[in-house]
Amino acid sequence: MTPNESISACSLRHRRAVRVIESFLLLMLAISIPLVVPIAARAEGAPNPLCAGCHMEDGNSVTPDFPKIAGLDAAYISKQIMDFKKFKRVSEIMGPMATQISDSEIDALAMYYSKQKRTPGVVTDKNLAEQGQLIYTDGIVNSAVPACSGCHGEKGEGTDKFPRLAGQHTAYLNTQMSNFKNIVRNNDARGVMRAITLRMTDQEMKAASEYIASLKGE
Amino acid sequence: MRILLIIALALLPTASVLAETPSDAATYQGIGSKGYVWNKLTPERAEALRLKGDMDRGREAFRGCRGCHKQDAFGRVDGIYPRLTGQYASVIIKQLTDIRAGLRLNPKMEPFISPDAVSVEEIADIAVFLSSLTTIKENGKGPGDQVRQGEALYVQRGCIKCHGSRGEGNEEKIYPALGAQHYSYLLREMELIKVGARGNSHPDMVVALKEISTADMEALADYLARLPDRRQAGMK
Ligand code: HEC
Ligand code: HEC
Repeated sequence: MTPNESISACSLRHRRAVRVIESFLLLMLAISIPLVVPIAARAEGAPNPLCAGCHMEDGNSVTPDFPKIAGLDAAYISKQIMDFKKFKRVSEIMGPMATQISDSEIDALAMYYSKQKRTPGVVTDKNLAEQGQLIYTDGIVNSAVPACSGCHGEKGEGTDKFPRLAGQHTAYLNTQMSNFKNIVRNNDARGVMRAITLRMTDQEMKAASEYIASLKGE
Repeated sequence: MRILLIIALALLPTASVLAETPSDAATYQGIGSKGYVWNKLTPERAEALRLKGDMDRGREAFRGCRGCHKQDAFGRVDGIYPRLTGQYASVIIKQLTDIRAGLRLNPKMEPFISPDAVSVEEIADIAVFLSSLTTIKENGKGPGDQVRQGEALYVQRGCIKCHGSRGEGNEEKIYPALGAQHYSYLLREMELIKVGARGNSHPDMVVALKEISTADMEALADYLARLPDRRQAGMK
């Protein structure tokens, strides 16, 4: 256990309270955006404005905490929305959102976003990205961390089961990895991401995220 | 029925997170334990052998293994992860089911091969897929100056009886092909087998490696890593 993992119960409770407030604010934001986006402005075949509020019309969110969903495989998107809906993947924001989407609408939404082109990501720390490249393409042998590229692909392109990562926001990637590590997120197929992140330090996860942001997916 | 439930519950914690701890000593039934039977036909192994593996499903399932064994299943030349290409399906099935049964310990790989991660069908699929791979690349080799000594030891110590005149092994008898495997991996496995730490070993092989010096094991590994891939050697 690294020092920054041994947080006292007190500060943990504090952090949780802050997170709840944060989430609430984000949720309000998410709900209010579609209200101010005129319906007429919706592009042809564009999806539910509920989604566009955070993920944008083309699925390329500009807020680092919200994931880009453009170019994810349709089956992967459908699974995540279903998981949110059934609270298999817990999110204060997406949980309530997903319950407002009918099952029949899910596949159409997933298809729409899967066809959008993902925008390039932003690397914030070049040195860290270099370390991350090694982790992404070759793993970490000493702690038996498999290379990310094994499942997610050399270019971060992903498949129907393993999500496209290329160009994703580093902040979002970091949150998801630590959520896997702390078993806050546990809808990963076969527990593989939980097992991997358990073997990684925060620094290693950040490095991997930086490199992933630089990937183009093709 | 109840016993199944209890077993399932008992397995849950190990399956959910990385289990670095070796399997429970009380239930360990590998080599050195009383009544050890080599290649005991467990229900899981029988099932994996009965199923007809599918190449395409195997390629798909192997995606979850590539992070360590690499995109082409050739492993690492430093031998940390073995090459799996071209190994016999029967051998792959035996090793994987033995690892799942706790006979051969592999904590690094455990979360990725546990029954939670991979089904029995997928083991059969992966075995067919891997055995079909013909990728021939430069494998990790030893210094190369002990090949002759290694060859002599290979005959003297009777390795040849099981692993064949060109290190090609034997599919039916479940003896692995050793030719062109990475040097460091071969050496590490011999050490584990010798001291009884590779719990699923053939008892006759443990005898064959009895009281062998490190230098002699290095010579054997040097020789074996320089043998051709079994298909290159014209073996089936
Ligand atoms: C975290 C890294 C890692 C992952 C992921 C991994 N393995 Fe392994 N594997 C290893 C290591 C390390 C060994 C060698 C262990 C030893 O030295 O005994 C090994 C050994 C093996 C062996 C035995 C080879 C032999 O010659 O006896 C097989 C078969 C195998 N792995 C198959 C798989 C399959 C199939 C998967 C995916 C389901 C997989 N591995 C995923 C690390 C990994
Ligand atoms: C009785 C037959 C037999 C003899 C004799 C024998 N082996 Fe083996 N060997 C096996 C089997 C079977 C395995 C696979 C492990 C298992 O499941 O038992 C194996 C595995 C190995 C492995 C690990 C291969 C891998 O892919 O993980 C090495 C290395 C090896 N043997 C070397 C030798 C050497 C060197 C000798 C001679 C000193 C020898 N063996 C003698 C049957 C034999």
